[in-house]
Amino acid sequence: MILLELSGLSVCINGKEIVKDVTLEVKQGEVHVIMGPNGSGKSTLLSCIMGLPRVRACKGRIYYQNTDITSKPPYERATMGIALAHQSPPSIRGVKFAEVGKALVKKCGCSDFTFMTRILNVEELLNRELFVGYSGGERKRAEMLLVMLQAPKLALLDEPDSGVDIESLDLISNAINYLASRGSSIILVTHSGNILNKLARLDYVHIMLGGRIVYTGRPDGVLPIVFKLGYREGIKRLLGEEAVGG
Amino acid sequence: MHESSGKARVIEALQKPAPYGPDIDLGRYEFEEARVEGDPSVLSESGLERAAMRVGMDSSSPSYIQLNQMAIYRAIHRALEKYNVTIMPLREALEKLEVARELSWKLIKPETDKYTAHAYLYGGELGYFIYVPPRTKVPLPIYSCLAITVEKRVQFAHNVIYVGEGSEAHVVTGCSVPHGVSEGVHIGISEFYVGRNAKLTFSMVHAWARGLHVRPRTAARLESGGEFVNYYVLYSPVGSIQAYPRAVLEENAKTYMASIIAGSESGVYDLGSMAVLEGRGSSAEIVSRVVARDSCKIYARAEIRGEAPKSKGHIECLGLLLSNDSMISSIPIITSTTLESRISHEAAIGMIAQEELEYLMCKGFTEEEAKAILVRGFMSVEAPGIPSRVKVEMDKILDMVSRQAIG
Repeated sequence: MILLELSGLSVCINGKEIVKDVTLEVKQGEVHVIMGPNGSGKSTLLSCIMGLPRVRACKGRIYYQNTDITSKPPYERATMGIALAHQSPPSIRGVKFAEVGKALVKKCGCSDFTFMTRILNVEELLNRELFVGYSGGERKRAEMLLVMLQAPKLALLDEPDSGVDIESLDLISNAINYLASRGSSIILVTHSGNILNKLARLDYVHIMLGGRIVYTGRPDGVLPIVFKLGYREGIKRLLGEEAVGG
Repeated sequence: MHESSGKARVIEALQKPAPYGPDIDLGRYEFEEARVEGDPSVLSESGLERAAMRVGMDSSSPSYIQLNQMAIYRAIHRALEKYNVTIMPLREALEKLEVARELSWKLIKPETDKYTAHAYLYGGELGYFIYVPPRTKVPLPIYSCLAITVEKRVQFAHNVIYVGEGSEAHVVTGCSVPHGVSEGVHIGISEFYVGRNAKLTFSMVHAWARGLHVRPRTAARLESGGEFVNYYVLYSPVGSIQAYPRAVLEENAKTYMASIIAGSESGVYDLGSMAVLEGRGSSAEIVSRVVARDSCKIYARAEIRGEAPKSKGHIECLGLLLSNDSMISSIPIITSTTLESRISHEAAIGMIAQEELEYLMCKGFTEEEAKAILVRGFMSVEAPGIPSRVKVEMDKILDMVSRQAIG
């Protein structure tokens, strides 16, 4: 069953087109990875799927569970089961991490709060203000917990592996694997690919350059080439092979 | 009592406006004869229950109750008996106890302004007297509740608290009107004495209405090593309120004074805290969180005077505007008269950060829910030493305040 469908989607910020004509289907339970260099439009695409107000779909549509959600506000999309792990969540003074977590448990009915805090080793952060003074790894793990508490059908994970230490990377990948094992669909954005060899399931890799998805393939075919040659040279090789193969 | 020249000064002060806040014509309101009532049955159908609920109390908690100009003399709760704590209407304490007479009107001069002068001359010395003997730690909060339940009345309260050397007490006071009362004046005189190495936490919640004018006058004296925590919450509309509690600290004494104000409608909220660091090594922290909506005006004042070596103080005034028609003015003053005093302040006024709002909305909270979470967080201050039971009650009040603050 198709959970998410992007149809010719272009995304603008302040009138400038950042993401161009993206078409993508994500089926239930699939794990997709979007890779590309910094500034290629990956995060903007996720923000648009989530419905952040500063990014706007200037062309195309977003369908989720066969419903056009292109104009829906973010909280409605969240209520429908879409969750975004922000690349850089804001520090929120005065608001305790645990308070937001508990409010989400109440809202989303998730019953695994304690278990999930252990998976991500964030128990000691619960009584602290949300993201205030957190290290890079703590920030990513705390944000990942809030996504998990939403029990998402579709998790949009924006660079969960950037700026984190090895231990945090293991904890975050465990959490992603847990989400996937529970049937969540996942779109994971990464520019480094650090986390990819820790994922238990990976269905498709999309390469994004200059706001466009320029290549989509299975991980076995794409990742070795991208890791070896980098994005631009790797894409040339992949497209060349495709042309030869085709 | 004061001599005749002193009384003449007080009479003269009946016309003396306060330096801050709108001037209130007290002649527009009715003055009621003060009385002390021993029979709690007068409370039935009095409106007290509804007034107490607004400040997070049930009417069975308070050891002292004052309805309009009537003090209800409730037997001291048994739980407090074993600590030998004296709680009684000040009016009675002044008749019976020398210590009450020694402490009354010593920290606040009756001629300070027209409100203190009226309280002195016409208040009938209602209010409570709490005496905690030396070396007595009272773990249970001592509750009091004052309510105005009739229109256009002036309520006077004169409260005196004495915490003896090495003792500890937690006092919680709620002042309120039940819904339906729209006009009136509340004038509260509070004098707090904190003995050597003693500790007093004083938590107060105010819930008024759009036509109420409120003029608390509060002063505290901390002997060496004494500690005073003042935690004040006001969340309702009000006609106007003006208060500037002042704590004077001796050697190594310390104070933490927090004000959490959620202003609304067209009220004028002029509130502050002042600490005078007279003693070597004394310290003060003054914190305010003010939230303004509708067309209210909030003046958040704070002052610390460093007058002794090794004294230190910090003021933190944060304001959050929720509407274009509201106004917050933050006025921190720091003064030092010695080389070895360290005093600082920070003040900021802003609006809800769009980035934080969007973030929470991405987590599935509606805009209203997200704003309530952010406002609740903004109003959170960690007042040290407040008993957990009181903290839970205050947290409930703040949860309600945050929901109401966004309208």
